[in-house]
Parts: sequence; structure tokens; C-alpha cells
Amino acid sequence: MTAQATHCVACGMPMSAPEDHAMSDSTKDYCHHCARPDGSMVSRDEAREGLTAFMVKTQGIDESAARSAVDEMMAKLPAWRES
Amino acid sequence: MLTESVLTHENSPFEPPTTRRARKEHTRRLLIDGALDEMAERGIMATRTIDVANRAGVAHGTVFVHFPTREHMVEAVVAEHASRVALRLHELARDGIAVRDVLEAHLAGLGEHEAFYARLVMEGPLLPDYPRATLLGIQSAISAHLAEAAEREMAAGTIRAMPVHLLFNTWLGLVHHYLSNRDLFAPGESVVERWGPTLLDHYLGLIRPDEEDG
Repeated sequence: MTAQATHCVACGMPMSAPEDHAMSDSTKDYCHHCARPDGSMVSRDEAREGLTAFMVKTQGIDESAARSAVDEMMAKLPAWRES
Repeated sequence: MLTESVLTHENSPFEPPTTRRARKEHTRRLLIDGALDEMAERGIMATRTIDVANRAGVAHGTVFVHFPTREHMVEAVVAEHASRVALRLHELARDGIAVRDVLEAHLAGLGEHEAFYARLVMEGPLLPDYPRATLLGIQSAISAHLAEAAEREMAAGTIRAMPVHLLFNTWLGLVHHYLSNRDLFAPGESVVERWGPTLLDHYLGLIRPDEEDG
């Protein structure tokens, strides 16, 4: 049996309830924000662009500065980190 | 993940490697908790590895068993703080709640980790890239909930229409100003406890539509 992940592997969001997971499926280790309509996980580029656009929209940060911050964060996330 | 594997094997009869791993994890927790306290008091960049070792009650060299460099230690400590704050916000700010509830959740989440968070805010522009990005990550956790609640309330006309980043930054600027100067606004106590309700009421008054608008 798969242990329930506590953070989305693709964006780091905490996941404490089934509906936090993609398709409300607790066995999925990524969240509903990081799922495509068919339930599959977004690609690296989709995640990068989505997180950047979100930061620009909700925090007003310059787009290139936001993208740099997103790259820093993504480099540590299980879905995207090297090695 | 490490914790899960430790828990899974905790009662295993094959003790030696597991016990050592559990002990190592325990020491890492001591170091992280010690570093959080030490950095809250001294400042993030001003805290030395020897300060953390002393606080945790371990030999100086033990720090480097867990963190190859001081920078790795800072990254791990800031990431742990961010994880705790984000988890608390997530628990408190469920989907569908009002702007007031999101902001109350924000204050409650910060209040529990106020001293370290204040350091993070004060030292933000001076921090290395990853810890700084982590602070933005904490802000994203709250801006996500705020944007969702605000867009709903703007459509309903219960708050004034404005770009969500200005709505968010106006709130953040207010809260961060009080946190950055907590020695002036609430010496020796929690600035969130003392000023949180006042700031919340003031801010909600600012974003409420004018009588004639409604």
C-alpha cells in the first residue's frame, strides 16, 4: 500500500485531504492544481509556466524574477530535481 | 519520507541499521529545531554552525554529518519553517472561505512561528537564492487562498474590485512592517497577538466598498 504523500511532488503544496490530490485520489502524489484535465501530471514546462504566471498574478512580481524563484523551488521538488 | 521509513521499521526485529537511522534522524531534528530557535534570536545569516551545535547539545562536527556546509543548513532550516507554516495555513484556510477567514488563518499560521518568520522577512533580500525563493513560496501559499476568496467576493461586491496582487501586497506590507519592527510594536511579546486583530479590522475596512458603491 502506498503511503499518503504529505506534499505535492510537483509544486510542494501540502496535501492533507483526499480532494487535495489529483482526482481526489490519495494514491496520487501530485495535487489537483498539478493535474491536467485527464488526471495526468503536468509537464516540467507546464508546471514552470503555471507557477510563474500564478506568482505574477497574485504577488505582482516581475515575470523574470518570478521564473527564477520558481526554478529555485522546482530544483528541490521530487518531481523535477536532478539525480 | 525519511520519517515514514523510520516509522515503518521502528518495531522491526532487525534493529541495528534502523536504530542508527532513527538516531540520526533524531539528531537532525535536534539540529533543525535548535537552528530555528537560534536563528530566530540571532538572525539567520548571523547564526554560526557552532551556535547550532551548542543549542542542540551536540559536537560541532556533528552538524557537518547532516549538512555539508552552512548554506545547506540554512536551506534545510528555512525549508522546514516554510513547510510548517504552509501546512498550518493549509489546515486553517480551506477552500471556499471568506477573505477575513483567509487573513485570520494567515495571522494564526505566522503567529505560531513569528520570531523566525520575522527574521526571514527582515533578511529576505540578503538571503541566498533558495531561501529567498522559499519565502516567496510561503507567500504563494497564502496568496493562492486570498486570490480565490477575493475573486469570489469581488464578484459578489463585498470587497472593492482591484488587482489581486495589490490586494495581497497591501496586506503583506502592513503585516510585514509590524513584524519587522516587532521590538517597537510589541517588545517582548507576540506582535501578531497584540496587533493582529487591529490590523485585520483596519485592512478589511480599507477593502470594503464605499457605501455609495454598494
